Amino acid sequence: MTERMTEPHLLDALGPSGPYRARKRETVTDTTGAPVAELSLTPRLFVTRALAALHKAAPLPLERRLAALAEAGRVFREETVEGLSYEEYERTVARVSGIPLPAVRSAADEIADSARRALAGAYGALPGGAVLDWRDARTRTGAAVWTRRGEVLAVNAAGNHPAPHALWLEALALGHRVAIRPSRREPFTPHRLVAALRATGFGDDHVVLLPTDHAVADEVLRGADLSLVYGGDDVVRKYAADPTVLVQGPGRTKVLVTEGADWRAHLDLIVDSIAHHGGVKCVDATAVLVEGDPAPLARALAERLGALPSLPADDEKAALPVQPVERARALERHLLERAKGATAHLGGDGVVEELPGGGAVLRPAVFEAPDLKGGWHTAELPFPCVWVAPWSRTSDGTAPLGDTLVLGVLSGDEDRDAGLVDTLVADPTVANVYLGEHPTHWMDRGVPHDGYLGEFLMRTKTVIRG
Amino acid sequence: MSATDPILELPYGVTPDPDEFLRAAIRWHFSEETGAPFWLERADRLEFDPLADVRTFDDLKLFPNLANELRDVRAEDLIPRGYGPRPKVVGVFDSGGTTGAPKRVVMLQEWLDLLLAHSNAQLDAHGVPRDVNWLMAIPSGPHMVGASFQQLVAERGGLSFTVDVDPRWVKKIIARGEQTEADLYTEHLIDQLQHPLRSQDIGVLMLTPPVLERLCRRDELVDLVRKKVRAIMWVGTQLDPDTRNLYRTELFPDAVLCSGFGNTMTLGHVSERPGLTDDEPCVYDPFSPYMTYNVIDLKERRPVEYGERGRVVMHYVGKSLFLPNNLERDFATRIRPLPGQVGDAVADIAPVPEFDDEKVIEGVY
Repeated sequence: MTERMTEPHLLDALGPSGPYRARKRETVTDTTGAPVAELSLTPRLFVTRALAALHKAAPLPLERRLAALAEAGRVFREETVEGLSYEEYERTVARVSGIPLPAVRSAADEIADSARRALAGAYGALPGGAVLDWRDARTRTGAAVWTRRGEVLAVNAAGNHPAPHALWLEALALGHRVAIRPSRREPFTPHRLVAALRATGFGDDHVVLLPTDHAVADEVLRGADLSLVYGGDDVVRKYAADPTVLVQGPGRTKVLVTEGADWRAHLDLIVDSIAHHGGVKCVDATAVLVEGDPAPLARALAERLGALPSLPADDEKAALPVQPVERARALERHLLERAKGATAHLGGDGVVEELPGGGAVLRPAVFEAPDLKGGWHTAELPFPCVWVAPWSRTSDGTAPLGDTLVLGVLSGDEDRDAGLVDTLVADPTVANVYLGEHPTHWMDRGVPHDGYLGEFLMRTKTVIRG
Repeated sequence: MSATDPILELPYGVTPDPDEFLRAAIRWHFSEETGAPFWLERADRLEFDPLADVRTFDDLKLFPNLANELRDVRAEDLIPRGYGPRPKVVGVFDSGGTTGAPKRVVMLQEWLDLLLAHSNAQLDAHGVPRDVNWLMAIPSGPHMVGASFQQLVAERGGLSFTVDVDPRWVKKIIARGEQTEADLYTEHLIDQLQHPLRSQDIGVLMLTPPVLERLCRRDELVDLVRKKVRAIMWVGTQLDPDTRNLYRTELFPDAVLCSGFGNTMTLGHVSERPGLTDDEPCVYDPFSPYMTYNVIDLKERRPVEYGERGRVVMHYVGKSLFLPNNLERDFATRIRPLPGQVGDAVADIAPVPEFDDEKVIEGVY
């Protein structure tokens, strides 16, 4: 693992007047514990002043924003950025985050695609009756104009997967200035993306990268008008009452298999929904709920998931996440504690497999929960870990199907289940409903992931003139 | 009343031989005619003879840490009898009161004169101008710093503009976990600071790093400080080197930025060593032999190596008070002292570091 090791890469903050190298730096290590980079951590004062600079900056005209975004996507995916070639970048992310290399590459594609088509997602939120400019002829008799709810967006990013960085590009497309606080575990993706955006036309005071320690994180949010925050239930609760913060919380993605569905015919789909990109995404299924006996499906999933190879994350064939041994063991302990009372089909003796070169693979786990009341099926963990549980439409009802980012439904009788689907589509705690042969991780720029980001970033106001 | 040993009353600039000075101080504090009741009452309880056994500063470790008794002792009993019935008192001052009841000391004007002479020399060395007004957001009331600095500013030829700070209330709010409330308190301080900053000729700003940082959220105040203020003195808490560098390079490049470190148990404050670069820690030299420090490994009861961190032990040895071997909660880096100084210089004084435990939070983020 050490053949590429040279001096740790110096990863500067990207401030409103250019790169900033702090005295206070955090060593970013790979999953074997080897140092990979020294990340500059910005002090609170730097954050305060950077956010103030974003507020003062005027956005580029739309055409230039879109051109810069598209070019930045290409640079991000193809070019050498800040001394790091694309190939070095993707391997570094795999080694550092433990995300399987093919998943990193797919996420990079997604980011590049989002940059090229940022408006597809952004304008998805445009209300049918609204116009984009007060000069639009329709304002002569009164019209809704779509405007920014605030000028500066802060993103408190996660490091579980690079793909969420595709989302905030929509804010740049809409004219917001953006401050990213990267994950200290995987700062490479936003660093590369922000550097690419600056190289292709965005000003240093339009998009900044502000790595900070935990204590300064709130200052990034405070200085912004609107914030996008990734986190667990504690983060969701912290910001629940704050209309300026959009939290991307646990996904708790589920697959529902209703009575009569031929799950054997859909086994590939279910396995893919669980283990896609190593199970580290919020759209990877955490639970499979079966109307009927869940045991046969649990056994089949265990057999299929158990066959995934244990490989270093930067292997071209890697399919499972790798973590530092200590963190992997902590996750394993948590899993086994949570799993008490459930029947193990895979991973009951543990999920950690240490790699010869250092680090540990998190192997899949399949547990069969006796019921939904115990809450096993809500335990979302960052590897292919699935809770298979029985579901009854009469005794459980649809309540346990809620609190779900993506709900995949494999129906045994579409006519019978139409009313059920009505309820699920209506449920405000279910963000997306996928019927039939579509994996839970299916996405497209034109459709919302958890609502359109634009619903949060923009508002309408009436303009009448003349 | 016996005559005072002149070594205890040397003017500022004449440095006594430390151990000779210490022995004279011990004689003063442990003589029936001149000592304070506090020490005379405790002399019999000591397991050693201070007059015979304490010959050098290193021997101060023989003393038990009696600082806790300062929470309850009658303040009058701290004043050496040698000062007679009407000593000139600056005030009775409390320690911060972070843990339990505050510890209490009495400050006499004779000592404050000496301390301020030292402060003045230090501030001059930093290039802090004289004959300018100071705006200070520091605690008054039971806290020593407010009274001391008002006298200091007057001596330097300026007026004091003050905004009061109640550190104990802030600590209570923070202990309750009410960060919003704590933020509001800081905003309240800034709201008060802005008026004199706008209307008065302010040449020196004295405040804590968090308040200075908060002031910098307001562009108008940043501009006012740039225009008027020629020196900023920060006190009370740490300022990290990156932030310090930002003040010196981007925010206030034309102002002198220097810090003070004060402690009630040493009856005063010192300023940072002049001439430090941005990459060096803020070093505080003792006002030797009066206010001195040792940085120790508590378990081994020995000094840590230079450059290493350890617990801070403070000594105050003077004519007006004797308070040896006071173990502080704070940690510091041990720094080699300047030639001729007793004990250690200290840097990066901070409470016990806290660590984030890594715990599993469910979800993929």
